[in-house]
Amino acid sequence: MTKIIPLILAAICLLPPASEAAEAVPASIDLSKFPAAEVDNVVVPVPSEIFAVLDKLGAPNWRGELRGSLGKNTGNRAQVALLLGTVIAEGFIAVEAEDSERVKDIGREVLELAEAINVRKAVIARSKSITEKAQAKDWPSVRKEFDGALQDVRSAMEELGDDELAQLVSIGGWLRGTQVLTSIVSKNFSQDGAELLYQPQLLDYFTRRLDGIKNTRLGKDDLVVRIRKTLGGIRPLIGKDDGTKISADNVQRINKMTGEMVIAITSKEA
Amino acid sequence: MKKNFLLALLSAILLATAYAYVNDALSFAHEAAAPYAKKGFSVREDAWGGDLGVKDQQAVSAQLFKGNEYWFCLGTEVKGAVLTIHLYDSQGKLVEAESWQKGRFAGARIVPEKTGTYYAIITVEKSPQERTGWAVVYAYK
Repeated sequence: MTKIIPLILAAICLLPPASEAAEAVPASIDLSKFPAAEVDNVVVPVPSEIFAVLDKLGAPNWRGELRGSLGKNTGNRAQVALLLGTVIAEGFIAVEAEDSERVKDIGREVLELAEAINVRKAVIARSKSITEKAQAKDWPSVRKEFDGALQDVRSAMEELGDDELAQLVSIGGWLRGTQVLTSIVSKNFSQDGAELLYQPQLLDYFTRRLDGIKNTRLGKDDLVVRIRKTLGGIRPLIGKDDGTKISADNVQRINKMTGEMVIAITSKEA
Repeated sequence: MKKNFLLALLSAILLATAYAYVNDALSFAHEAAAPYAKKGFSVREDAWGGDLGVKDQQAVSAQLFKGNEYWFCLGTEVKGAVLTIHLYDSQGKLVEAESWQKGRFAGARIVPEKTGTYYAIITVEKSPQERTGWAVVYAYK
């Protein structure tokens, strides 16, 4: 036994230290060395990423968060793009509520709105699949189809040269998702729940995209102007630095602001 | 006229080539993510890709949420290429829980301690080709 110990010690000495093995991966990097476009263009999360955390924090009443009406298409392309975003977000809520009938309605509505902005072809298969999988109550697959529908619509719009309009789909989804997030957090406030709102770079990204709209008519659209103002109003409420606490009051204020915007997007008067 | 046509044709071929290899890389990225889907992770349909020279790096920024766990999975269509992916926070600090690299695939896992913006840094460590196509998908649960 005593002969084995020196052998083990020798073997340990011959092994590379753990730090050497990890040396290839820098413990820190200078992000300013990367092109600004890479660092500033934030990947937009889907609502279910946030909803997954809310499910872990408690048992939200998802059915109670569903809206009675999905909203009306006014024929204004900016409104339709924003509305499409809110409807897809509603799809994620209906999946959380495990409401098959509502999911099927939403799948059909996605198809109709896609038709209004000439991207119907891109979502036909998704819409059919949403209906079939909702019928089978295969919720993870339905969630994936809504995510896919969002990407397909955006890609099709970008192919048509409607990049600026495609961004509005994401913003519409974010507004509705944030309205629901703040509603649930307000009902049972916790700092962990409120921290989900800490999205300053995402908000800055949306604002930059809206500020950079080149299509004059779209840039001056009443809804686009109001959303830009709303995002500007929300930005100071969600914290400046890592670790900033977001108060219950601010959560409620954001809920009111996003709720008003969702009403503006979904109502006929928009 | 003929020159313009040739230029347009050349551009179309280059675009199609670039698209093809990002598309191929994407199928490898999805392959890298497949084991995590079986473990209950939802793989995002959105994906990011491009091409890089050897030793070049690219950053992909993502809004991540405390309470979730994420896998970022990278794939390339270039046989013999070695690409890595590592995750950093907004201060540039390495924050991944683990990472791996094997053949055309690589992955990194993070359990964010805070909600905020994180950066996936993709590096082409070596490659038999001048430009190497890559694609990244991420999965969460």
